[in-house]
Amino acid sequence: MRYLIYLVISTLLVYGLPYSTAQDDFFDEELLLKPLASGHVYAYFQFTTLWEAPNNVQTFQHSHLFPRGLGEIIGRHKVDELHISLTEGLWNYEKWGYPVHDAGSGAEIFAWFNKNVSNVNNEWKSLTNALAGLFCASLNFVDSSNSMSPEFSFRPTGIVKEPPNSSYLRYSSLPREIVCTENLTPFKKLLPCDSKRGLATLLNSAYIHNTNYHSLGIHFRSVCRNAGCTKSSLELRQTVSLVYDTLTEATQDWSIRKLFGIGIKGACPLASLSNVYIDMTSNETVHVYQLTPSPNTKVTSFRGGQQQQLAVYDIRTYSNRGMFNIAAIYTTPKTSSVTYPSVLYANRYIIGYGQERGSLVTKLHNNHWQSLDVILLENIPWYLPVYLHTVKVICNGQQIKPLIQRYMPGRERTRPYYLELVLRLPPHSVTKFSIELDYLFLKWQEYPPDANHGFYMGPAVITALLPIARNYTALPLDGSTITSSFNASRNGYLVQLRTESLLISLPTPDFSMPYNVVCLACTAVALAFGPLHNITTKRLVLKNVTRNWKKKLLSFVKRLTKDTKDKTD
Amino acid sequence: MKKQLSCFALAGAIRLLLMTSDYQTLITDRVEVSTALNSWKKVTEGVYLHNAGIDPYSGELFHESPIGLLAFSLMQKYLSIFALHVLFIITDLATAWILASTAQLYMAELIAREKEEKSQLPAEKAKDNICISVRDTASASILYVPATYLLNPFIVLNCVGLTTTVFTNFLFALTLFSIIRRSVFWSCLSIALLTLQGLYPVTLMVPATIYIAGKNSQTCKVAVAKIILTFLTLLVTLLYASYYIMGSWSFLWNTIGFILIVPDLRPNIGLYWYFFTEMFEHFRWLFVASFQINVGLLYIVPLALRLRQDPMLLAFSYLAIAAIFKSYPCLGDVGFYMALLPMWKHLFRHMQQGFIVSCFLLFCTVFAPTVWHQWIYSRSANANFYFGVTLAFAVAQIFLLTDILFASVKREFALRYGLSREVNGNKAKLLLE
Repeated sequence: MRYLIYLVISTLLVYGLPYSTAQDDFFDEELLLKPLASGHVYAYFQFTTLWEAPNNVQTFQHSHLFPRGLGEIIGRHKVDELHISLTEGLWNYEKWGYPVHDAGSGAEIFAWFNKNVSNVNNEWKSLTNALAGLFCASLNFVDSSNSMSPEFSFRPTGIVKEPPNSSYLRYSSLPREIVCTENLTPFKKLLPCDSKRGLATLLNSAYIHNTNYHSLGIHFRSVCRNAGCTKSSLELRQTVSLVYDTLTEATQDWSIRKLFGIGIKGACPLASLSNVYIDMTSNETVHVYQLTPSPNTKVTSFRGGQQQQLAVYDIRTYSNRGMFNIAAIYTTPKTSSVTYPSVLYANRYIIGYGQERGSLVTKLHNNHWQSLDVILLENIPWYLPVYLHTVKVICNGQQIKPLIQRYMPGRERTRPYYLELVLRLPPHSVTKFSIELDYLFLKWQEYPPDANHGFYMGPAVITALLPIARNYTALPLDGSTITSSFNASRNGYLVQLRTESLLISLPTPDFSMPYNVVCLACTAVALAFGPLHNITTKRLVLKNVTRNWKKKLLSFVKRLTKDTKDKTD
Repeated sequence: MKKQLSCFALAGAIRLLLMTSDYQTLITDRVEVSTALNSWKKVTEGVYLHNAGIDPYSGELFHESPIGLLAFSLMQKYLSIFALHVLFIITDLATAWILASTAQLYMAELIAREKEEKSQLPAEKAKDNICISVRDTASASILYVPATYLLNPFIVLNCVGLTTTVFTNFLFALTLFSIIRRSVFWSCLSIALLTLQGLYPVTLMVPATIYIAGKNSQTCKVAVAKIILTFLTLLVTLLYASYYIMGSWSFLWNTIGFILIVPDLRPNIGLYWYFFTEMFEHFRWLFVASFQINVGLLYIVPLALRLRQDPMLLAFSYLAIAAIFKSYPCLGDVGFYMALLPMWKHLFRHMQQGFIVSCFLLFCTVFAPTVWHQWIYSRSANANFYFGVTLAFAVAQIFLLTDILFASVKREFALRYGLSREVNGNKAKLLLE
């Protein structure tokens, strides 16, 4: 009998408590697979934790599904909203459409702080240092010299009580950051099931880091708990975006096992939703393939004038048969066809030669039949001083006047150059933004190791509300899971494109010279000091100097004898 | 007169031709011509920011004084590009004209002084004194001073490169002219304006005071007090006017602070850029301080005491020292003090290093763009090459300065004791003791 009671209690403890009313948080794991028209396969993992609690320090003292390490940092630094992405590779907007989460290459972080934070800069510095430890990323290199507070580009995505004030926002990008296993492991540890169960078992570093593009993301915000938005919940989305190239393989077929090296073992027991979605919109138009096993359900989603076909696999129903695999078998030979290009995409590059001066050019392509309003945020590091009076925005040979312009000149070693423009792009046009810049000469100790490799410059961010949802995959602002993007037609579809990050080679001094330079320059100073000192302190006299050595010797002897005489006297 | 006019016409034509040619952008982008302090591109940026309602001193690109900002914004507002070019040329020509008048007054003064000195000497000594008389060289000097200014390639490049040094040089010429005219107000005003822009010209107050105070010891103290007071009043007024224009004192950090602390390490013809690029961080302040003392303070008193009889030569030495050792020197500064050289044509005979110095200057002028191209564009050389050239250029200028000062000392000696170098029939050597 006693054993029976123990058993009941322990069963309650193990299974009952997580679902009891005391715990008010939920965990969902989802995977979206989308074959792209270019022959790539886009895999997007999203692990969502929703916690029905207010955002304050007390909340994070006890956590259940929410990662405590991250929660404590968020609570201590009074962060309202936090977005981190660690990315390797460049998302090709022109061919791949839009990802669920946009991320620039390297590390990118932005955060909204609470209104009662008094010194945002200090809080920001200490937040990034803490996160650097948590994710094993070089986020500790974020400081005021590479952070900015853009006014228009980044708006809070969660709920806000008052109109947002961008002085509580900080944005920074570290394009030099290299994303690797050391970032993936701590990322997986934040998940409730770690990488032991559920979809996270698919995240094997060997397969992830072989992709054309991979991006880890952490997105934290407050969302409405109910329709009236009387209470708020905390939402944490951990995302992994991967782009695989199937065209280089022998066959175009792909499967979970081929992409991730392992089949799906089962759902995470703590997850309330555990789904795999396969976007079949392009099936039978661009590609022709068969899915095995066939999905539980097929969903047709209408969104922004676009129809989307999705196959949905609920892992729970499949996993009772043990490990299983989802495969797409192509019935036609390899294809890589051209689809409609994305509505809006951009390129950035540097023109000019030599290490003295150049121009930064950002090209914005608008393929829509209507004009588009976009926000262009240029984040220019302090070692590339730009001249605002040389800004040129040219479209079809004509100069365009920006609707709004914000500029804050940078300061050496303390502040980047911040330029934000609101532009109206004419329909079917290529708009070229250009600005002239100088290459700064730095102190010899400020150059990184391998100085001639160059300096990275973070991407420009282009924000726009697209009128149609072509190639659009992102979730609506009010949604938390991938399911919320089905049939989610809205007035506009927010995209935040990141351009290429650039490598700039600054002129370098000779690093082996410090002693020589100090000596030589001081010699020049001494060359002036000596004669000037002589001229000002001495007077000219005529002196006999043509004596030969015999006379010199004689006079020396004479003087000696005279001295001895004087002494004897 | 005809010669002078043709010189002016030629100089104006050369400048106008170069300004309208494609070489203009090439010249204006040269680091030797445009520095952080005088580049017209940075002025344009500052004016643009000011007009856009952004404080130009919040950035790192604009370092002119607020009064300069006001003047340049008026220029850019009302003048077309061509009119602007013409304004630069006219200012340069006016500088040369003022220099010519200065030289004329100074030569008259030198001749008078020489006469006086000779009359004090015993008759037989004065007779065998065969030093070159100032009287013989005066007319040539008066012609050569504006000609050297107008046709000096350094000055031509400076004017074609549209640097603000064109206006500073104008103010320098005005200062020298008003000093020699003994005009308290004008000399103080121009020195105050120059001080606000470049800080180092404040040293010119010493020759100005010596000139204006004169030799009369009774009125001397009053005159000194008067000129210093006038200068301080004008400087404070100008500073306050700057504050009134900008609405804050932030400009001080970006003008005077920028000159003193040397944060900009873009190469120029001076010694600072590579020195502070390669500096160990914990020694930076020590060397910044010692370099600034070297250019600004160290030589003021000794030279003033030594050259108190010839304040114009004193002003020349201060200008030369500043052009060699200041934090952001440019070719315009070098060209300006070189244009004054013909005023001491009677000293040339006593100079020894003329050939070496001119060779140095010539080679540096040719080598600087070459090694710059190799370093920055073709990457087949490194920074040391350019540093070597700037170092040689500075050393050549130092030789020039010390040579002319030695020559003045020697001539003084020769006037008193004759040119013969014999003591009791034996050959002797001139030595500083």
